[in-house]
Amino acid sequence: MHTSRKVMAGLFMLLMVAGCAAPAAPGSEAAAPAAPAGETASGEVAAADLLADVQARGKLIVSTDPAYPPQSELVANVEAPADTVCSGEERPANQFSGFDIDAAAEIAKRLGVEVCFVTPDWTLITAGGWAGRWDLSIGSMTITPERMEKLYFTQPYYTTPAAFFVHQDNTTFTQPADLSGRKVGGCSGCTYEAYIDGTLEIPGETIEFVVTDAEFAGYDTDVPALEDLALGDGVRLDAVLTALPTGQGYIADGGPLKQLGEPVYFEYLAGAIDKASTLDTTSFQAAVNEAIQAMHADGTLAKLSEQYYGTDLASAGAEFDLAALNQ
Amino acid sequence: MTASTGDTSPPGSEYDLTQRADQEAYAARLMAQAQRRRWLQSVRVGLVWIFLFAILWFLFSFLNLDFGYIFQNANFVLLGIGVTIGVSLASILIASIIAFFGALGRLSANTLFHGVASFYVSLFRGTPLLVQIFIIYLGLPQIGQQIAARGYSWLGNLLILTAIQSGILALSLNYGAYMTEIFRAGIQSVNRGQWQAASALGLSHLQTLRLIVLPQALKLIIPAVGNQFIAMQKDSSLVSVMGVWEITYRANRFARKDSKYMEMFLLAAAIYWVLTIFSEWGLARLEGRMARSDGR
Repeated sequence: MHTSRKVMAGLFMLLMVAGCAAPAAPGSEAAAPAAPAGETASGEVAAADLLADVQARGKLIVSTDPAYPPQSELVANVEAPADTVCSGEERPANQFSGFDIDAAAEIAKRLGVEVCFVTPDWTLITAGGWAGRWDLSIGSMTITPERMEKLYFTQPYYTTPAAFFVHQDNTTFTQPADLSGRKVGGCSGCTYEAYIDGTLEIPGETIEFVVTDAEFAGYDTDVPALEDLALGDGVRLDAVLTALPTGQGYIADGGPLKQLGEPVYFEYLAGAIDKASTLDTTSFQAAVNEAIQAMHADGTLAKLSEQYYGTDLASAGAEFDLAALNQ
Repeated sequence: MTASTGDTSPPGSEYDLTQRADQEAYAARLMAQAQRRRWLQSVRVGLVWIFLFAILWFLFSFLNLDFGYIFQNANFVLLGIGVTIGVSLASILIASIIAFFGALGRLSANTLFHGVASFYVSLFRGTPLLVQIFIIYLGLPQIGQQIAARGYSWLGNLLILTAIQSGILALSLNYGAYMTEIFRAGIQSVNRGQWQAASALGLSHLQTLRLIVLPQALKLIIPAVGNQFIAMQKDSSLVSVMGVWEITYRANRFARKDSKYMEMFLLAAAIYWVLTIFSEWGLARLEGRMARSDGR
């Protein structure tokens, strides 16, 4: 990958030109940047570039797990648009709704292609080794050192504060530190588990572990943990550590919970690209990063965040120094 | 009760059992009685079912179910039936083929054939289906990419399966291992004398298997395979982890949308139940057909 730095810079320049051209003339000319690459070398080399591949097929395949409203959820009983290029197990954007979905659709639009979604389990997305089944994960994925072994991260498109939630009947806990030694639930394999274990590292952030010796109860996803907490104060759980928007959304739906204190850390949420891809992803990474920065710059992401979360969680993502990740 | 006493002494002197007409009339009466008893029995069993169903319904009433929500969104979950049935049918078909050869291997005197078959059964019966699904979906493509990188891209690309293909492969291999034992037991249940007799008649080993043994073994194998098919319909829900939109995936992911877990899971359970009831009914008919040769 080190050797490809120069190539990446060159392709980035090419993309800047292509990026400017694409919005002005979407559709037929969108595939144009791929053509010169195909002419300079044999057909095999052209196909070996992920960006060229995406533009040639006219669709960006994005993984999403529609288990996390308001980031990604299903929309029932909607017919696929007649002109969609999504086929087989891929689903067009109108089958879903959410912040991730809209962000992914916008990225695809800026690459001049249609977005198509596939819905593998979250474990399979974070495991890497996608075998070219999808190109990009837009799944509110936190940047962690472990995940960086398998995946390349894009510029963060927003951030999520992680906060503790307790049952509304509880009066004994006044701040997160009071949860030391208690039973805390959360999504297993997510950053919440690492935080409770005291092993969480977020690149570019110093984390203070205010809760010590807590017992962690792992769940498939966050909502079942919140459901268990909602059964009663201390019945199955004393608290749940989850994303602020997830917890607040659950409360807004009538869940008998309340937030405990301020958020304990912030997650930078980024898109991810498979490191094990057999295609060269350098130009693709550059194109996606450029699209995300442009969406930060023109306020698209801040507006989406206001729409889905009622507050601007996005803008902080623009300031993240992606180069510091050394990926 | 009346039938057993009737055997020895018919009630009263209504019937003169030395007369053919009376014999027939008496026999008809006994048969009508037996039929009525069977009918009454099924009515009673039906009542027990209704009673149990009422208890279940009563218990579920504690869950505060939103039935309007279920009816509004049932359509979305019902769309998964095709995938569930399709995956199950394809898998049971492939598993049967695997199981047939697996059973031949298990019964073979050939060391290699026997070794391969017993290794396969041990491996796939001894590991969880969910783990197999993950390994096939995640691991096979990585092997495929390595093979492709060594110049055999056609072979490598063959190993990169879609979610549905991975699911069918995992279910087939897993159930094939269990069904190998079913096929083996079925073949072994045919008396050794049949093999010896066929051999004495000059039939080859393969001919004996095809013409003599398998037709008899199938009568035992088919009900057991049907049983596996019913189990398979429910285990096919495991392919939902790869994002295949079958019944469970649709119910589960939809439930998260509005936190209507019980509604959606009960709906999914009901759909599976109805599906398996249909399968049981079909299976009973098939078994009845297979048993035809047993009746006199």
